[in-house]
Amino acid sequence: MTDPSLFSVVAGSAEPIYRQLVAQVRRCVAGGQLKAGDELPSVRELAQALSVNPMTVSKAFGLLEAEGLVTRRRGLAMVIAEQHRRAQPTADRIDLLRPTLERAAQEVQQLQLPAAQAVALFKTILNEQGRE
Amino acid sequence: MTMSTNDTCLDLRGLKLAFGTQRVLDGLDWSLPAGRVVGLLGRNGAGKTTLIEALLGLREPDAGTALLFGQPSQALPDDVRARIGYVPQRSDLFEWLTADQLLAYFRSFYPRWNTAKVDGLMSRWDIARDKPVGKLSGGQQQRLSIIRALAHEPDLLVLDEPVASLDPAGRREFLAELVEQVVDRHTAVVFSTHILSDLERVAVDVAFLTGGRIALHAPLDELLESSVRLGGAPADIERFVKQYRLHPLSRDARAPVIARGIDAAVMPPATPAVSVDAVTLEELFLALTA
Repeated sequence: MTDPSLFSVVAGSAEPIYRQLVAQVRRCVAGGQLKAGDELPSVRELAQALSVNPMTVSKAFGLLEAEGLVTRRRGLAMVIAEQHRRAQPTADRIDLLRPTLERAAQEVQQLQLPAAQAVALFKTILNEQGRE
Repeated sequence: MTMSTNDTCLDLRGLKLAFGTQRVLDGLDWSLPAGRVVGLLGRNGAGKTTLIEALLGLREPDAGTALLFGQPSQALPDDVRARIGYVPQRSDLFEWLTADQLLAYFRSFYPRWNTAKVDGLMSRWDIARDKPVGKLSGGQQQRLSIIRALAHEPDLLVLDEPVASLDPAGRREFLAELVEQVVDRHTAVVFSTHILSDLERVAVDVAFLTGGRIALHAPLDELLESSVRLGGAPADIERFVKQYRLHPLSRDARAPVIARGIDAAVMPPATPAVSVDAVTLEELFLALTA
């Protein structure tokens, strides 16, 4: 089963917690970290691991099911759906990243930072996270 | 779990309560379905504690009715009283008793008492069993108060600033325990706190107390998704609000305009004159409790 620590939520965001969970599963499936047949943690496990209301986790799972990303297996476990056997093409994954970077670019603009420095910072952060 | 014959665990109608000339509750209506977790939000002095005490029957209202599981809170039968757990803002524990004596005392009032849970929490939260309660730190007393409220496995848990004396690690442990209750027992929870990040994790609904009434009670997700912050010239904003039939939530003219749409699925698009941004719970809190 997928380790619940693959997921995380932040409070204080304009993005509701269930949407954060949906977006994380979407990205992990697109990147091939979660593949067809991989089992998600149960509602109970994920609610406990993240200290969030189980109804919030159920809502996220329901949405993922409606999107066809996961299917409900007997015994209620949610598994990644059959068609997601491999990572999506790079171009599609880039498209998923674009909105986040657009927001960051807007902040760079507001802060009046030189583009080269913003890009350098992004590279540094990527390296830091890669090492973890 | 024993299911109530009706699905409402809390029902308040026309509650009025004044201290001298100060009207704290002013015709307040509020109800909560069984098994729901609601965050009760309001500024300091808005009357959250008074409301909680009135709904529990600890304070007699000047007018109106308060029902818990269909029974008047002022005269609760023992079997209904046993279904309610309460963590008051200020510890109401008997300070001269040791933690063990205190728990033994409360145990005698309840038909059900989860000894395994109590023992587990006492050791996990590291509470000295043989020290007088008055000698425990504020955080430890608050933890003990939480254990006392959970021990008889209530169907409705009422928490008045339960984590005020706890550090972030203690708050996280408390939230985990609360989630456990909700997962295992579908406990309904009324949770009053100023720590919005805690609330966001566990509350499905939020209710805003202002002007002696519940100004709004809505699912938190829905509220976040249907509300926007508008920026621009007042006249442009006014036109925009009319065009998309938004309800302005903020009453303070100097504050940013936070408005709520009819349908969360149709967020109005920004125009060159009016910016439209998503809002956080903190912004909603400031707008709705102004």
